[in-house]
Amino acid sequence: MMGSYLFRLLCLSMASFFLVHLALGAALSLLAPAAIRLSERFRPQLAARLLLLLRLAPTGLSLLMVAGLLAPSYLWLEPRAATEPIGWVCLAAAALGLAVWSFSIARALRAVGRSLRHIRHCQRAARKTYLRGEAAPVWLIDDPAPLVMLAGVLRSRLVISSKVVSALSADQLAAVLRHERAHSRSRDNFKRLLVLLAPGILPFFRGFSRLEQEWATVTEWAADDFAVAGDCHRSLTLAAALVRVARLGAVPPSPVLVTSLMPNGMDLSTRVDRLLHFVPATAKPARHARLLSGGAGIMLAASVIALMAQPVTLHAAHEFLEALIR
Amino acid sequence: MRFLKSITVEQTPPSQPPLGHLETTVMDLLWERGESNVHDVVQRLNRPLAYTTIMTTLDRLFKKGLLRRRKSARAFLYSPRWSRMEWEQKRAGEFVAGFLSGPQPAGELLISCLVDAVGQQDEALLDELEKKIRLKRKELYQRRKP
Repeated sequence: MMGSYLFRLLCLSMASFFLVHLALGAALSLLAPAAIRLSERFRPQLAARLLLLLRLAPTGLSLLMVAGLLAPSYLWLEPRAATEPIGWVCLAAAALGLAVWSFSIARALRAVGRSLRHIRHCQRAARKTYLRGEAAPVWLIDDPAPLVMLAGVLRSRLVISSKVVSALSADQLAAVLRHERAHSRSRDNFKRLLVLLAPGILPFFRGFSRLEQEWATVTEWAADDFAVAGDCHRSLTLAAALVRVARLGAVPPSPVLVTSLMPNGMDLSTRVDRLLHFVPATAKPARHARLLSGGAGIMLAASVIALMAQPVTLHAAHEFLEALIR
Repeated sequence: MRFLKSITVEQTPPSQPPLGHLETTVMDLLWERGESNVHDVVQRLNRPLAYTTIMTTLDRLFKKGLLRRRKSARAFLYSPRWSRMEWEQKRAGEFVAGFLSGPQPAGELLISCLVDAVGQQDEALLDELEKKIRLKRKELYQRRKP
C-alpha cells in the first residue's frame, strides 16, 4: 500500500508505539510480582507512587520514544518527496496501536460519563452542608446505603449519607473525613482516570490487573495512614468507624472514578487488622531527600533528551523505521 | 507384556451420589497423595481395614464416577477424576440446582437461608473485629497508666 508522507508518519508512529508498548508491557507484566513484593517494604504512600509509576511507565516511555525520538528522526531524515509502500506488518501494528488507544479512550470517556451522572444525581438528591470542625463543604444525602465517597475528577466533592453521620461519633466522623481528604489531596480520582487512559497490552487484554488492584489497596492504606497521622488512638477510631459503617449495610458498587470509604472487594478484616497492629509512620521524607530525588529525575530526563538529540541515535531510529515500514 | 500395558477405563458419572464415611476418607487420601493402588491406600489409612474392603470401596468410587483407574502390572491405580475444589463446586451446584428446581417455596427458602447465613457470618466477623478493637483500646489504656 502506497502512503503519503504524513500518512506514513502516522502509521509508523502508531506501529512503533504499539510494538514498544507491547515489549515494555510484557516486561512489566513479568516483573509485576517482584515489584509488588518490593512495594510491600515501603510505606503505603511511597508504594502507591511506585506502583502508579510502574503502571504508567509503558505508556509514558512509549510515548516519549515515539514523540521524542522516532517522529523527529522521520521528520529530519525522511525525504518529503518520496512515496514509499507500507508493509502489511506495519499496517497491522498501526491498526493494533490505534485499537489499544481507542479502547482505553472509550473506557475513560465511559467512566467520566458515569462519574458525571453520579455527581449530578448526588447534587440533585443531596444538600450542601458544613460539618462541625470541617472547613470544606460536604454533600449530605438521604440514602439507605451507608455512602461515604469522593466524587469528581478535578474538583472532588465529598458525598456522605445522613445515616453514616448519625451512626458515627464525632471522632469517628472526623477520622472518616480525614481519610477522604487524603484521597482528595493525592488526587486519587484523577490518577484513576490516568490508569484508565493508559492502554492495555492488547486491544482485548489489559494485562496489568494485579498491579492496578495492588495500587488500589495501597492507596486506601495511604489514606488510612494520613487520617491516622501516626496516632494510635486515631488508628483505633478509624478502625471502629470502618466496622460501624460496615454494620450499616452493603455499599452499592460506585463508578470507577468515585473513591469510596469501603471499596467493593476490599478485605475489611485485613484493613482493620492493619490499623490495630501497625503504627503508621509519620516521618515525611526529608526536604533534602526530596530535592535529591527531584534533581536526579531532572538529570536523568536531561540525559535522555541529550541522547535522543544525537545524530547517531536519530539515524538508528530512522533505520528502525525503515525496517518497520517494509 | 500384557501386564505392562497400561489401560485407562473411564465411566460417565450420573448425578453425584452422597459419599459414606469410608468413601470420604479414601477420597481425602487420594486427593492428598495422588494416584495410588489398593495396597497404598490400606497402608496409609489410620485404622486397620481389610484389603478387600478398600478394594470394594475404590471400585464403588470408580463406578460412581469419582475416580479414574488404569491397570499397571497386576494392580489397578486409582486417581481422582476431579480436584477437591471441582468436586465441592459440583456438589454445591447440584445441591442448589436440585433445591431450586423444586416447588417455589423450597427455592425461596434456600435463598433466604443463604442470605441469613451470609449475614450471620458478616455479623460474626464484625463482632470479632469490634472485640479486637476493644481489646486494643484497653491495652493502650493500661499501657498509659503508670
